[in-house]
Amino acid sequence: MNRLVPFLSRYWAVLLLVVVWHAWVTLGDLNSIVLPAPLPVLADVVTHPALYLTNAAQTMATALAGVAIGVLLGAFVAILAWASRLLAGLLTPLGLIFSSVPIVALIPILARVLGYDISTVVAIVAVSAFFPTFVFTGAGLRDLPRATDDLFKVLGATPWGRLRHLVLPATVPNVMISLRLTVPEGVLAAILAEFLMGRSGLGFMFREAASRFAMERALGTSLVVTLAAVLFFTLAHRAERAVKARWS
Amino acid sequence: MAGLTSLPTRLRRLKRSCAQRAPALIGIGLFCLAWQLIGSYRLAGLTWPPLSVVIGYLVDPDHHRLLTRAASTTLRAVALGYLIGAGIGLFLALAVRLFRPARAGIDTFVALIHVTPAIALAPVFMILMHRDAIPVAICALAVTYLIYVAATSGLDGAKRHHIDLFAVMGARPWQRFWLLERPTALPAIASGLKLAIPVAFMGTIVGEWFGAARGLGLLMVSGMQNFQIPMLWAAVLLTTLTSLVLYALMGLVERAVERRFA
Amino acid sequence: MPDIPQTECREAIALRAAGKAFALDDGGSVVALDGIDISIREGEFVAILGPSGCGKSTVLRLVAGLETATSGTVHIEGRAPAELAAHHRLGVAFQDHALLPWLSVSDNVALPFRVARKPVARDTIARLIALVGLSGFENARPSQLSGGMRQRASIARALALDPDVLLLDEPFGALDAVTRRHMNIELQRIWSARTLTTVLVTHSVEEALFLADRIIVMTGRPGRVLRDVAVPFARPRTPEALRTAQFHAMVDDLTRALEPQG
Repeated sequence: MNRLVPFLSRYWAVLLLVVVWHAWVTLGDLNSIVLPAPLPVLADVVTHPALYLTNAAQTMATALAGVAIGVLLGAFVAILAWASRLLAGLLTPLGLIFSSVPIVALIPILARVLGYDISTVVAIVAVSAFFPTFVFTGAGLRDLPRATDDLFKVLGATPWGRLRHLVLPATVPNVMISLRLTVPEGVLAAILAEFLMGRSGLGFMFREAASRFAMERALGTSLVVTLAAVLFFTLAHRAERAVKARWS
Repeated sequence: MAGLTSLPTRLRRLKRSCAQRAPALIGIGLFCLAWQLIGSYRLAGLTWPPLSVVIGYLVDPDHHRLLTRAASTTLRAVALGYLIGAGIGLFLALAVRLFRPARAGIDTFVALIHVTPAIALAPVFMILMHRDAIPVAICALAVTYLIYVAATSGLDGAKRHHIDLFAVMGARPWQRFWLLERPTALPAIASGLKLAIPVAFMGTIVGEWFGAARGLGLLMVSGMQNFQIPMLWAAVLLTTLTSLVLYALMGLVERAVERRFA
Repeated sequence: MPDIPQTECREAIALRAAGKAFALDDGGSVVALDGIDISIREGEFVAILGPSGCGKSTVLRLVAGLETATSGTVHIEGRAPAELAAHHRLGVAFQDHALLPWLSVSDNVALPFRVARKPVARDTIARLIALVGLSGFENARPSQLSGGMRQRASIARALALDPDVLLLDEPFGALDAVTRRHMNIELQRIWSARTLTTVLVTHSVEEALFLADRIIVMTGRPGRVLRDVAVPFARPRTPEALRTAQFHAMVDDLTRALEPQG
């Protein structure tokens, strides 16, 4: 009972949605081509575990690889830009511009330029993660307290020592935040790329199911996509907190 | 305050702002140059046109009918979705502010919508509405999240000492809301409205990919599938630039609100 | 008010065996105040002096109705502080000026009128602004003022509704020493113009001696009243009063009292 109340207070709106969905289908007497009830959707997922799992695994792997590449590259370029005023001046505005445009619009271009390939999906996700990370980590580096910088100069620290003791502690927590921020967009980019040009993965399952009006399959894919995205996001959030506790 | 600053200070500021902007302009210039050269010398294959070809496509009068039709469809969807999303986001934020017990549940719900890739909701929308309305719906949903988060955090943003002050002055809850929390929240809401611009375009484009009859997103997909390379790039450039211009305009609004209320 | 003892001089503020314990996250609790007995007469200016962390601000927050005592009682004019706050009878100024950044000086000073839903008395506001020496800055925003000017505005706001009790929580704590002394002289002048029951929380011995009729010295962990000292200097006090031998002797005495024992 005393666990139920916090649970309901957190999840009432989500539960309400499912209840309304179910009630609507049953009371409205809709057939399953129009809108399947929650249970048949769940049943489709449970009775085709291999199909959902392999596709989900592929999508998640490409998304993870892309986000990892994009975030690491973004942080790396941010450190370069921090070290060089010239690079900072040249790159920061471009970074700001690209992080404030709807990056998914670049998917068709990247698909065409790089070819219809799974590595293109990874590249697309990496691009979507790169710019926000570059801007965010760069901002974190610029916030470095000048006093500590001076302190290191006084101590005669080597560039490597400065990097290890000054730059990395200021970068790593921001990298983790960038990871959490870019994960949802990364998953979206992966699925969109698969949807537009893939031959497998959850995004492709969507297109395939939607094109033949297999609504149970389409909604089952939605469910798996949502679960996977929530899982990813939760993991990124946990990692961010763990790193924060360790580095500050 | 501009009238109070002396001419030399203003000149110094102007010089500084030029010095600050020069690398940015050079950076953008280099980017355009690289685009042009990669295209001219086919460094990235046939699917990377020079910038001049893309601009040529955009300014060619033969394409104006196609482009304006697509752009006006997309822009209308963006505007509608943006307004609906901002409205719902603000409404939800106000609702959970006025009825706090609902807060945790709505927070979870909205976070779930955010984490859920927009396209996962497309099948639901396909069932619920006409396909021309899907871009608006996905756009509205994505904007709702941003505005909700901006508005709730803005409304939570009143400083401790201001809250104490209102308590000692004997302010009623609605007075605290109207005289303190509402003005405190405005800069955050303005930031949210700015950040929501690219998000609105993203939602609309994704929605168009899911089966709209026309729009810039559709031009992109058909350009991609049919090897109409200049059209593909032109559609993407047009979308990006429109989004950037609106983003910059909302940035001005944000700055004005920031100056007025913070 | 039948149960209030009528003393020869009317008692404005009464803390009787007041205690405050804060719950900790680990389930324990920490005692911030223990058995505080303070009685303040109507029209009296009392300074609460103590090292940081001694709970002197908590005493003020109890009187302001921002916290409730976990033991004992706190009354203003025989009523609960929150009741007075609800009737807009308290004036307060915090260390952080707590001016609303989006309002001009005169709108900030007018804020208590709006909260009390009384017609804004423009002449009262002009008089208060003149009293605190801010004439000519009526339309300035807080961000355009110096730290000392912000505190003046904040004091004018505290006086706006002619409160029964004025509560000052380290109002000059964030100012530099020179501005602080100047503000002390100003506050003394302002207070002489309209004598009202005032509680000043401070960690500055000179400030307490210069401004107050009586000084209550507190010690920390848990917060207790250590001494209750009457200030013998006649009013109006001039800066010269700060230079007398008696003043210095009292400063030394109180400073020693504030030093940690052992």
